Amino acid sequence: MKAVMKAISKFLFALKMTLWGTYSVWRRHAKVYQRSFLFNCIPPLFEPIIYLVAFGFGLSPLIREVSYLGNNIPYLNFIAPAMIGIGLLFQSFFEGAYGSFVRLAYVKTWQTMLTAPLNFTEVFMGEWFWAATKGMIVGTLTGIAAIALGLYTPLNLLISLPIMLLSSLLFAALGVVTASLVNQVDQVNIPIFLVIVPMTTFCGTYFPRDNLPFFLRPIANTLPLAAIVDLLRWPLGLPSYWWIGLLWIIVLLILVSSLAARLIYPKVIR
Amino acid sequence: MQTQNPSTPSMSVTTSALSVPVLAVHDLWKSYKTPVKGDRNHRTPVVQGVSFNLHRGEVLGLLGPNGAGKTTTVGMLYGAVLPDRGTVQLSGLPVQNRNRMARMHLGVVTQDDNLDPDFNVFDNLIHFAHHYGITGKAARKRAGEILAQVNLENVAKYRIDRLSGGMRRRLALGRALINHPKVIFLDEPTTGLDPDARQDFWKLITELKREGCGILLTTHYMDEAQRLCDRLLLLQQGQVIDEGTPNELILRIVGHEVVELEDVAPDTLEELTRNANTWYRPFGTGYIIALPNPHPETLWHILTDLKSSRIARRRANLEDVFIRLTGSLLS
Repeated sequence: MKAVMKAISKFLFALKMTLWGTYSVWRRHAKVYQRSFLFNCIPPLFEPIIYLVAFGFGLSPLIREVSYLGNNIPYLNFIAPAMIGIGLLFQSFFEGAYGSFVRLAYVKTWQTMLTAPLNFTEVFMGEWFWAATKGMIVGTLTGIAAIALGLYTPLNLLISLPIMLLSSLLFAALGVVTASLVNQVDQVNIPIFLVIVPMTTFCGTYFPRDNLPFFLRPIANTLPLAAIVDLLRWPLGLPSYWWIGLLWIIVLLILVSSLAARLIYPKVIR
Repeated sequence: MQTQNPSTPSMSVTTSALSVPVLAVHDLWKSYKTPVKGDRNHRTPVVQGVSFNLHRGEVLGLLGPNGAGKTTTVGMLYGAVLPDRGTVQLSGLPVQNRNRMARMHLGVVTQDDNLDPDFNVFDNLIHFAHHYGITGKAARKRAGEILAQVNLENVAKYRIDRLSGGMRRRLALGRALINHPKVIFLDEPTTGLDPDARQDFWKLITELKREGCGILLTTHYMDEAQRLCDRLLLLQQGQVIDEGTPNELILRIVGHEVVELEDVAPDTLEELTRNANTWYRPFGTGYIIALPNPHPETLWHILTDLKSSRIARRRANLEDVFIRLTGSLLS
């Protein structure tokens, strides 16, 4: 019994220290972000508004309605949830890829933190969670913009938060995988053009995936943003296979985050 | 050239060596995979069997040329490099297994300039203190103390890019002191600094030593090693080739005095040094010859009679130790 209690207290102590360490790393990034909060918030807030207004005025007269799950939906209501998905995808991926790479290769923040009483897991988790946090901030701001335009309700946004969190974590991990694979900052453009841009265009964001030619459809359906956009559109209805999409995101999240940790480890611990 | 072996390292026992070491390093080994044609698993050894102890209030120097394994050794001491073999204990705590606890008592100044450019001088300390669980008023108080200690109070609000090289290194040292470490690792801390900045840094190291910190210093500056270090480990190709106090090493390996001279045939030097039971090595564009002790004057007079374009007699130093042991200059 004593041994069990000792093991539990040891585990709790390790957990407490790990939570503190992870928070400490995350906090460092949050403080940097906080220093230029307005500057950081304005572009992601205005970007979806620009898109929504541009598409609203530009495309709505041409498209008006989109057929989605057998219902006709105004085009702006169709793309608004996708804007949330795209916003969090870009922010979490970019922070995970560019941010982590710069802190790893140039500023040496990772290495410096490892001279303090922090371990690799804490530094990795802090970096990863921060990249996901940036995705959440932008996703939420985009959601607020959609609410302001009457395209989403506050309750819709609140219920979408868990899926936004999963998505941000997934794309942040994908960013960290990229950071661990590239040798120069310019090389980050490669996954952006090979994965991120196709994902934002083919995954049912600006038009339903049913419009795609049959050979592209399976690829588009497999990319994680497809399931994420489907789930974020829940107020418009959910496809019958939504739970497979959710499961797919969770499986990918586990795989990609483990891969990120595994790949970046030898870059900081030699 | 004469191939007389330098004397083997003495097992010098100092007063501090009798006390319990604050850092005990035993048989560290590290190699990296470097695939070559025909052998994809080929490994290049970087550190080979390095062992030493460091005591409170002692400055131990790791001296060696670039690529000797100094930085890798330091990396293994705080967990940034995983050793293939060997152990590191800090106040009895195994660094590999109790890394967090060990690092609570460690201060590390790495070779890289890794201050946080996103924060000013004061905030660099505040945010680093947070990793140790030092927050709020306590962090601000400690940051203030450190800025006073490293003489950076007047630039507390400066951005990092406004600091001179010397200030940056002092801030890096200050950051390493945030949790009152028992041991500090300084990895080539004064590389690239001007003489004044180096002097300022040396003062800080001397103060820390006086306060009882154990300091491990890697450097390839001989004057720095000679001035600051109580004991030196000479590293070459990942191995400790000799160790001792600076004066002991100089006396044992080189002697009291050396002569630098140019434009003399090596055959002549070979014969002269063999007869005088001493040695010579190529040095820059000429040669360096150790004068025998006792009776250095005999050889000196013979050398002055040679038709050398330049001849100079001087006290032996650590640079000569390295030339003797490795056949090359340290830097």
